[in-house]
Amino acid sequence: MAKVKVATVWLEACSGCHMSFLDIDEAIVELVNAVEFTRSPITDIKEFSPVDVGIVEGSVGNAEEEEVLKELRANCKILMAWGDCACFGGVCGMRSTFDKDEVLRRAYIETESTCDGKIPRPPGVPALLEQVKPVNHVVKVDCYVPGCPPDAKTILYALKELLEGRLPVLPSDMMRFD
Amino acid sequence: MNEITLTINGKQVKGKEGDTILEVCRANNIDLPTLCHYDGLSDVAACRLCLVEIEGERRVMPACTYPARDGLVVQTHTEKLEKYRRLILELMFTEKNHLCAQCVASGECELQALAYRYQMDNLRYPLSWPSLPVDSVNKYLVVDHNRCVLCGRCIRACDEFAGIHTLDFGYRGWRDRVVADLGQPLGESSCISCGACFQVCPTGAIFSKSSAYKGRSSECEQVTSVCPICGVGCEIKAFVKDNRLVKIDSPDLSKPRGLLCNKGRFSPLQPFAKRVLTPLKRSDGKLEPCSLNEAIEIVGARLREIKTRYGSNSIAGLISGQLSNESAKAFKDFITGSLGSKQLDSLDGDCLRLVMQVLQDTKKNLKDIEISSVEELLEADCLFVAGAAPLETHPVVGSYIVRAVKRNGANLIVLDATGNSFPYQATLWLHPEQGKEALVMKALAKLIIDEGLVSASNKNKKRVAALADVKTADVCKQAGIEYVQLSNAASMLAKARRCIVIYGQGVLQYRNPELLGLFFDLADILGGDNRVTKTLWLKPRGNSGGQWDLGVVNSGEFSVAKLSKNKSIKALYLLSGDDWIEAPELASRPTGVEFLVLQTSFVSPIVSEADVVLPSPLWTEVSATYMTLDGLNKRAARLVRPPEGIRADWELINEVDRRLSK
Repeated sequence: MAKVKVATVWLEACSGCHMSFLDIDEAIVELVNAVEFTRSPITDIKEFSPVDVGIVEGSVGNAEEEEVLKELRANCKILMAWGDCACFGGVCGMRSTFDKDEVLRRAYIETESTCDGKIPRPPGVPALLEQVKPVNHVVKVDCYVPGCPPDAKTILYALKELLEGRLPVLPSDMMRFD
Repeated sequence: MNEITLTINGKQVKGKEGDTILEVCRANNIDLPTLCHYDGLSDVAACRLCLVEIEGERRVMPACTYPARDGLVVQTHTEKLEKYRRLILELMFTEKNHLCAQCVASGECELQALAYRYQMDNLRYPLSWPSLPVDSVNKYLVVDHNRCVLCGRCIRACDEFAGIHTLDFGYRGWRDRVVADLGQPLGESSCISCGACFQVCPTGAIFSKSSAYKGRSSECEQVTSVCPICGVGCEIKAFVKDNRLVKIDSPDLSKPRGLLCNKGRFSPLQPFAKRVLTPLKRSDGKLEPCSLNEAIEIVGARLREIKTRYGSNSIAGLISGQLSNESAKAFKDFITGSLGSKQLDSLDGDCLRLVMQVLQDTKKNLKDIEISSVEELLEADCLFVAGAAPLETHPVVGSYIVRAVKRNGANLIVLDATGNSFPYQATLWLHPEQGKEALVMKALAKLIIDEGLVSASNKNKKRVAALADVKTADVCKQAGIEYVQLSNAASMLAKARRCIVIYGQGVLQYRNPELLGLFFDLADILGGDNRVTKTLWLKPRGNSGGQWDLGVVNSGEFSVAKLSKNKSIKALYLLSGDDWIEAPELASRPTGVEFLVLQTSFVSPIVSEADVVLPSPLWTEVSATYMTLDGLNKRAARLVRPPEGIRADWELINEVDRRLSK
């Protein structure tokens, strides 16, 4: 049987979900027999190719993240969201309670360790969106694994469900937002 | 109460007339999700999670406010209802900034638990990301509006449990939020920091500074006990993790003595002052740590020596009224028994003696004057508060007074020359010139009798005679109060069926036994005719009552105030325990005292004056009994282990006692 192709991305995130995924420990040996990771921070492959499953960690906070997410969506049959940022906006979304310019000013000019600060602007860097969005507010998402980060066993459960041909929906006792 | 039968989810269930559908569901173990409902508080149907379908109703209805009727047909878990519940949760999560990952309540949040239950793994609605304030001005509590679901539990708890009603909704529409008073920070409002709002908050919107991030309730051992701090005797439930107090809650806020105040709920969690952790002895003029054995040896030897040289009565013992019956008993046995000294007193001895004297003068003993229980405050229809600020000294008593005013429409009369201790709640504030309180009391009694407001009975004839010369109009002029105030007070008192006279430190500070006697007279005059008038004394310390009963208070030959004059005292044993002693007489070593033993938990200023310091535990570190204001003996359980080497106060005293006889 051909291996299931998987691509993963991290957007506005801390990479904690990917770290938690790696915490599945020896189960990864079994997993790579059934799964081939293409574009992913783990493989360090940068180019998209059509895959069966796309996995996204993190929320959407700037133009580049939006583009990457749309590209992933276009290349995958099933899109799975990992973590509170991807599912709900999460900690990365906290900046949305402030005005965008205020956030930039605080970060690049007013920080106590900064002198002669300058706010980086496009085209040099991707433009910040006004507000951070969960991924399902940008593209269609098929399944969700919330948690900050989700437990390794929860991630593994979701992946196994997919391999069994089911769209995972976490049972209540596996749900966690912290 | 008539029984009714309903059909819920196709099953016949029984309920009582007057029940809501929610109550019938709970009584029949039908699980219905709720968020704004809290047992003991009124229901307001704010969260809409308990919506049910009722045959004959066009719309879905909240079960918590819908009266159950005979024959109702109710559905609680249809597909439509479950869809609505998930939708409501998603709306709540998108309305404010709910970030579980960094929230103190994560793991014990009712909103989060509901989201798990409804497998809410994404949000279909745009996030609002409102910019909301966090109010951390209060000493104990933080209000984080980002996490508030506007269920209104805190508002109802503040009104219905605490009686204070500091919290309410402010603003309108999506700006709606919980405010204190007229939008003041909580710490600058009329809030008394009882913490009921924190206990009932379903999310992390109101949290305690001293409990945050110390551990989840589920990780803690739970110990039920009684708070001995002020003598109300409120029940507490302590959460302990790794021998550290994480949180103190009330086991049931709706029960009498179930409310807590800031002292019981928060003060044991916050370090009060530096602890004395090892015994100290004075050597070459300086205090240095020593072994407990050595410290006790020194105390035994020195007391023995002073007793031989100057006689038994050269040794004096002073004890804080905060200490337990066990400690007081051991101390009394030690000072008066083993040492044979008569110089034993409570630090509040003068205050306690004043009351005793009045009780003797009025030819009564305490049992004849009906003492109100704390619970009876809630049932009172008239409250007379004199020289007391219950909301500060005994906040739960204060809350119950306010609740009686609100719920029963009780009249609250404050007699105080210096200030109104219930500025928002008092019906009438009598504020005569200072020192004229007794006159006002007499005039009040006279007016009640003259106007025939109470029928003269045998027992008050003598009092009637004693008041013959009082001219009410003249008194009003002398005392600087208006006659109409006095007559209003008289009619309020006379109208009352269940009146309680509450008096405290303020009355005793005038050192005016006459005034105190007049309170008992008033209670006596108002007694009879199917009316009950009782008194409640807000005693100065948590176990003043217990120590009084144990006979720790002497008949007046010795007191802390007499220390400086009494040159014959050569040794002083000061048992302060976990009380912080601020008596001016003890600011420095009393003159003539050659040997000062201090048994204390804290490094207070007097420590530097002592010759030997023995470390006391805190009340949370021992199990002991205390007597409440209303005379009940209650045991406070040990909540945590004391620091290494620290033993109960009575054990230390017994140990010193044993060394003495060697």
